[in-house]
Amino acid sequence: MITTQSARELAHAAVQTALRAGATSAETIVFGNETALTRFANNRVHQNVASEDTELQVRAVIGDRIGVASTNRASGEGIRACCERAVDAARHSPADPDFPGLPAARPVEQPDRADATTLAFDATARATAVRAIVGECLERGLVAAGSVSTDHSVTAVANSLGVDAAMPTAMTRVTVLASGEDSASGWASFASRGAGGLDAAALGREAAELALRSAKPATLESGVYTVVLAPEAVADIAQFLGWYGAGAKTVAEGRSFMTGRLEQRLVSPLITLADDALDPSCPGLTFDYEGQPKQRTELIGRGVAIGPVTDSYWAVKTGRANTGHALPAPSRMGPIPLDLEFEAGDADVGAMIASVTRGVYVTRFHYVNISDPVRVELTGMTRDGTFLIENGALSHPVRNLRFTQSAIEALDATLAVSAARVRTGEDGRVLAPHLVLERFTFTGQTE
Amino acid sequence: MREFTESVLDAARAAGAEYADVRVLDTESRSLAVRNGATEGIESGASFGFGVRVITGGAWGFAASAEVTPEAAVRVARQAVAIAKASATVGAHRVSLADVAGFTDTWSGACVIDPLTVSTERCLEILLAADDAMRSVHGVSVARGEMSFLRSRKTFASTAGSFIEQSWVESSAGIVASAVAEGEAFNRSYPNSHGGGCYQGGWETVAALDLPGHAERVAREAVALLSAPECPSVTTTLILDGSQLALQVHESIGHPLELDRILGDEAAFAGTSWVAAGDLGSLHYGSDIVNVTADATIPGSLGSFGYDDEGVPAQRVPLVREGVLAGFLSSRESAAAIGLTSSGAMRADGWARTPLIRMTTVSLEPGDAGSLEELIADTKKGVYFETNDSWSIDDRRLNFQFGCEVAWEIENGRLGRMVRHPNYTGITPHFWGACDAVCSRDAWRVWGLDNCGKGEPMQVAHVAHGASPARFRDVQVGVGR
Repeated sequence: MITTQSARELAHAAVQTALRAGATSAETIVFGNETALTRFANNRVHQNVASEDTELQVRAVIGDRIGVASTNRASGEGIRACCERAVDAARHSPADPDFPGLPAARPVEQPDRADATTLAFDATARATAVRAIVGECLERGLVAAGSVSTDHSVTAVANSLGVDAAMPTAMTRVTVLASGEDSASGWASFASRGAGGLDAAALGREAAELALRSAKPATLESGVYTVVLAPEAVADIAQFLGWYGAGAKTVAEGRSFMTGRLEQRLVSPLITLADDALDPSCPGLTFDYEGQPKQRTELIGRGVAIGPVTDSYWAVKTGRANTGHALPAPSRMGPIPLDLEFEAGDADVGAMIASVTRGVYVTRFHYVNISDPVRVELTGMTRDGTFLIENGALSHPVRNLRFTQSAIEALDATLAVSAARVRTGEDGRVLAPHLVLERFTFTGQTE
Repeated sequence: MREFTESVLDAARAAGAEYADVRVLDTESRSLAVRNGATEGIESGASFGFGVRVITGGAWGFAASAEVTPEAAVRVARQAVAIAKASATVGAHRVSLADVAGFTDTWSGACVIDPLTVSTERCLEILLAADDAMRSVHGVSVARGEMSFLRSRKTFASTAGSFIEQSWVESSAGIVASAVAEGEAFNRSYPNSHGGGCYQGGWETVAALDLPGHAERVAREAVALLSAPECPSVTTTLILDGSQLALQVHESIGHPLELDRILGDEAAFAGTSWVAAGDLGSLHYGSDIVNVTADATIPGSLGSFGYDDEGVPAQRVPLVREGVLAGFLSSRESAAAIGLTSSGAMRADGWARTPLIRMTTVSLEPGDAGSLEELIADTKKGVYFETNDSWSIDDRRLNFQFGCEVAWEIENGRLGRMVRHPNYTGITPHFWGACDAVCSRDAWRVWGLDNCGKGEPMQVAHVAHGASPARFRDVQVGVGR
């Protein structure tokens, strides 16, 4: 795979090529990636893949006209052709009078977030992990499925105003689904920059034991229940809040839960939700796709709407500071927080369950989607370990439930936040605790 | 290219592959987007690379690279074999493939006007005209329009003796008007949500949409939703328009009949299926007017091709016949596992991904209920839903919930009040069992979907569904309201 230094050099060379092609200013992103993934199901590996690629993206600017082009042909001719396409697109683009110009360079932390243990976790190591997981499931009469994946990437951003940022990142991710007769289904997962902390057998055991507890699920009437959400379910809520309501464009267009409610209390004071790529455990980039430093940005602080994330365009357009959350241009979504974290509370998970007289414990959600962006009304299913809580204990498993619930209203009813948090969500980018929510609406159940 | 693919296959054989195939894919793309009279993005892309898939020791391995050179051919083939050898250390299962003949062939999708040769100015002229028309309606907050085009050239070769070259073009376009007021936001789209209309074909498919001609209507409907009453929470008769029905077919028939899901391969991620392989020929999937096919041969459909990514020829196969399960979407491996031949449904979303079972054009065949207007006239009381807004279904594809952009009440055979936030929920076999009318062929059309996610690493397939409006009895609508 391309090295960090080579990616940096390629990004700079492409900026010069774009300028020679006629751009008045230019920005380039180089993204090199090596990924491998072993999928298993029915106690065997059914898919085992590896790929490598390097992509160059060019944003060419001519005055206030912009064109974007990308290619994975990283040769001299490929780079030249890509730059010419970007310049040609800019020439034919109508002017955007709101375009503030490419951002100037700012000091950027560029930590080395590669990890030697992830780099070394090859097909043989992945198969060894799968064997350990499968062994734990077979020992309990269960069937194992899931994946073991590694990813290492290099991202470099440069522009003609001096932006120069590059860094490597890495991720090892493991998921385990243990299933068996009588609808037994249990889940466990691992996400970390490094593979060193992975105990595959323990992960397989965790999923298998949860599966055994979840067998013979009962029906449960639809209605409003107190819920204890495990971190993967909490991460889903965080990501929908981020994607649909925490960017400056969404807020400006009136489609966000924050629109018209900044500095007002939206949810329980127990909730603080921030985007923080600078957290040492974060696997993501510390700069955005304009090479601007990511700032820790509090979206909700002690229940109050603090403000959205921005990029260079939407910072100027909305009169806010640039928080460094640009996606690669042209970003129709606008700026988005990608490294969300709930602030830790002070509750013990066991005590959280013990505090619930009658409620539902949710291990994770499945296929969540948004039905009303302003209220962040979500619908989805539970899966792989849903339990009725009675008198402070998990009394018995229940069949998977459908919820239809505003995330804002749910978080407003927060009763407790756990002290322990888990790195989860897509690519391990969310740091999530357990939550107890007093009111959560289940609108159906599967058969 | 034949020299390159032969070198990959030779290297794989030399490294110990019992079977190997290689795909080389070269794509070019262009997209344009406008928002409130300004350009939101003009973008082009190019991607080139190859992937090699092998069976060694009875297990799969796959490796891919953007470096399409003789040296990489050998290196990547060996890498795939090494990965397969690691796969073989888990369990005693050995992959078995259904037979397929070797083919030497070429195939091209329909395309009259290459969209990548159409000027940026011409594309923007249409998008901005539609944008102007939407914003001319008082109350529209945001107007958006987009077009995208993709040209693909794919070469497939396998140790089964195939060498197949295919090329095709895809075009899509759509507009969205948004109305926002006092904590409410509503969208109306044309010709469909989630990117608009998606076709296998050239500029002619986009030009025929007449985006400006529909802009004012969708804008007026978006604004009208601001003051519309909520969709009632009731169990009633539901009529779905063709575009929403396409997604209903997609989620509750297409995905559950993917044989890899049925056999458990997708269990940990997308889930399994409520259907078992042994249900073939006996399971009542729906009422006796429910006929569903998977057809990879429909000209102009996103789900069409000459050969799938295992070199299996495109086919039309029945999935549900008069309400009874009649077939599956399958691969060579999954079909062999239950003693069938492949239905030719294996596709990857790019050179860097291994193929998965994907939908082709999975369609609810037309019925005899006439036009939409005739179907509404035949309905005493109910609701008519149009254009998907959100979707969710459980991990066995049983419990689903869909939201639409807009709905109208039906009273005594006529459309009544517009209602907002329409959604409905159901259980797959009960829902399809309650289908009592499907509109006729004149109301039937193919709806392309270019956002079907499946697999790890995630792959996004371009598929399609033929559908005409249909009616369902006793459906719960207005969920959570």
